[in-house]
Amino acid sequence: MTTDAVRNAWYPVGLLSGLSVDGEDSLLLGEKITVFGSDDGTPRVESCGHILPVVQRFGHLWTSLGAPDKDLFTIPEADHPDRTLVDVGVVRVKCSPLRAVENFLDVAHFPFVHTDILGAETHPEVRDYKVEIRDEVDEVWATKVEFFQPQAAKSAGGGITTEYMYRVPAPTCSVLYKTCPPRPGEWDVIALFVQPLAEDLCDVWPWMALFDDESSMTDLIHFQQLIFLQDRSILENQIPKKLPLDPAMETPTRADLTSVAYRRWLKRHSYTYGAQLVAE
Amino acid sequence: MILYDYILSPSCYKVRLLASLLGVQLELRAVDFHPGREHKADDLLNLNPAGSIPILVDDDFVLTESAAMLAYLASKYGPDWAADGDPQAIALQHQWLAFSNRLTATLGGARLVEMLNFEGDLEALQSSGVVALRELEAALFARRVSGGTFLVGDAPSIADIACFPYVALAPDGSVSLDPYPSIRLWMRALRALPGFIEMPGIHRLHELAQDPLAEPDS
Amino acid sequence: MAADTDARWVPIAVSADILNGTVVPAQMPKGPIAVWRAASGHLYANGDRCPHRGMRLSHGFVRGETLSCIYHGWRFGTDGVCQKIPAHPAVEPPKTINCGPVSVTEVNGVVWGAAASPVDPPVQFAGYNALRSLLISASVEAISSACHGETVEGVITAQLGGQGTILLTNVHGPDEALVIALLPTATSAQDRVKVSTALEALRRTAEGIGDAA
Repeated sequence: MTTDAVRNAWYPVGLLSGLSVDGEDSLLLGEKITVFGSDDGTPRVESCGHILPVVQRFGHLWTSLGAPDKDLFTIPEADHPDRTLVDVGVVRVKCSPLRAVENFLDVAHFPFVHTDILGAETHPEVRDYKVEIRDEVDEVWATKVEFFQPQAAKSAGGGITTEYMYRVPAPTCSVLYKTCPPRPGEWDVIALFVQPLAEDLCDVWPWMALFDDESSMTDLIHFQQLIFLQDRSILENQIPKKLPLDPAMETPTRADLTSVAYRRWLKRHSYTYGAQLVAE
Repeated sequence: MILYDYILSPSCYKVRLLASLLGVQLELRAVDFHPGREHKADDLLNLNPAGSIPILVDDDFVLTESAAMLAYLASKYGPDWAADGDPQAIALQHQWLAFSNRLTATLGGARLVEMLNFEGDLEALQSSGVVALRELEAALFARRVSGGTFLVGDAPSIADIACFPYVALAPDGSVSLDPYPSIRLWMRALRALPGFIEMPGIHRLHELAQDPLAEPDS
Repeated sequence: MAADTDARWVPIAVSADILNGTVVPAQMPKGPIAVWRAASGHLYANGDRCPHRGMRLSHGFVRGETLSCIYHGWRFGTDGVCQKIPAHPAVEPPKTINCGPVSVTEVNGVVWGAAASPVDPPVQFAGYNALRSLLISASVEAISSACHGETVEGVITAQLGGQGTILLTNVHGPDEALVIALLPTATSAQDRVKVSTALEALRRTAEGIGDAA
């Protein structure tokens, strides 16, 4: 359902490094848009002859079909000059944009979907962590999420217990912060920016800001594509396609408290594009 | 031996998979296929003017077609994986290698459209992919009737490895594998081979691993 | 009326296509199901949807007498009740978590499913055994007419590849049906392949593909 909250949100529509001056057709919330690059650094997005608002941030071009009532979120940690910024590229997934975000917030699937990389079946336990909706910034946050990982990052040598923080700053975006193997005390930043094409179809733009002097850019891109494409075959086989907001439809556990908060937050904001309100 | 490789490419995966099944170490060079289009840049075009990956380099010997790489690896390291002597078996193996090109063009084409937003006539790619899957299903059913599991002869061969990846990844291009029981059994047999490795979109058979919850035998 | 449909056996798969320790997808009138054969050889089925996050259970895996979801490894027993949630190893899952068991039985090498347990067993064809299944994008009428068959209550009898063949049908939609072919048990391997080829031709005709249409 397209509510004002849905229309007024910011969405990623392309990599700044990959825009075409001639324009490229795409979809946003089921409406046709055309994304134009430019030689002078002023890309634009048009829909039905209208010029839409744009923001250039995190290597991507962002737009909105409505009148955004707040600026696109920021990721201050990502500004550190030593970080390698990685444009992972787009992957199309036949699923609800909200299911894509929810999967990103979940660690319990690591042992089964990212076996021997982000998780191992011998270490499946998700210990209690902290979840809150931070009213002052209006974001969902999960902290102190700990999980055993055989190969937490491209830069990780062997198995370690990784600490995660998850943040949902916009309905179709999530940012995770995780222990950074080569720099104890710092966090690697991995984000998932989702462009809702339709309620059951999305373009997903993963993006990373990492401390990694060892791996090549291509290796970093491929590691993230490997992980995300392992998720894709799951996301395309969930029934129903839309994210159920009716608590009777699915069965959360303590490990799912982030997703419980995310669903509650979506409902509170009437962000229901890609959601199913009652069982069909 | 160096393989110019892309983690999401089923054709590169064919070569990695056979090498793993044969216990051969490959030196992998990651190519930024998407979004970087590195395979279309000069360095790689000099190696392979066709602008495709994988590329296999063994000292100064260069191969640019995955079917040829499978044949090369098999004859060098695993003669059992390539038909030899029996004219019909040799011919059948060639036929399946050629068939695998149809899978790449149809199911592989649909996958690039559906997953990486390439241009293409999706419906035409999908329906010709279904035609190929039906042929494969009927052929594998006939093999089962005579007690066979794999495409040629009694053991897995490069014919199976050439066809497996694009078939297994058909759902990436929105082509369902649900209606093909003989294909499912064949894929399972391949996934259960010692040394099998997965690629994104092809999950491992978790049931083959020790059950971590099982009570130890007392 | 719903109860009547629920208590009816529907042919859903060929027994030989489901090895011990594997799970496959199948279709019932009310929707998709996951059919799995435990290590013991016993056959079970349930809704093709994990109650946790809706993942299709036919993508999961079988260990011993249990079926696990590939997404988070939730493990279900032969009664469909959740036995284990790996993320919480110390917690015993509430017995209310259930993936909706479906009745299945095997006759003539065919797997039949029913939403409720019917009183009578499925129809039997003495001396026949399942050959193979195939999905045809056509109505049962079109399939029957393509093989000049006789249809009684969804069961088509026809001459195919020179053999008297029985075709069981499971209607998936107005223009889609699963067909399971049965042949006399003594049919030779050569003739079985011939009938399989004839079934491919039947499908092309029923779907209107190729010159035969």
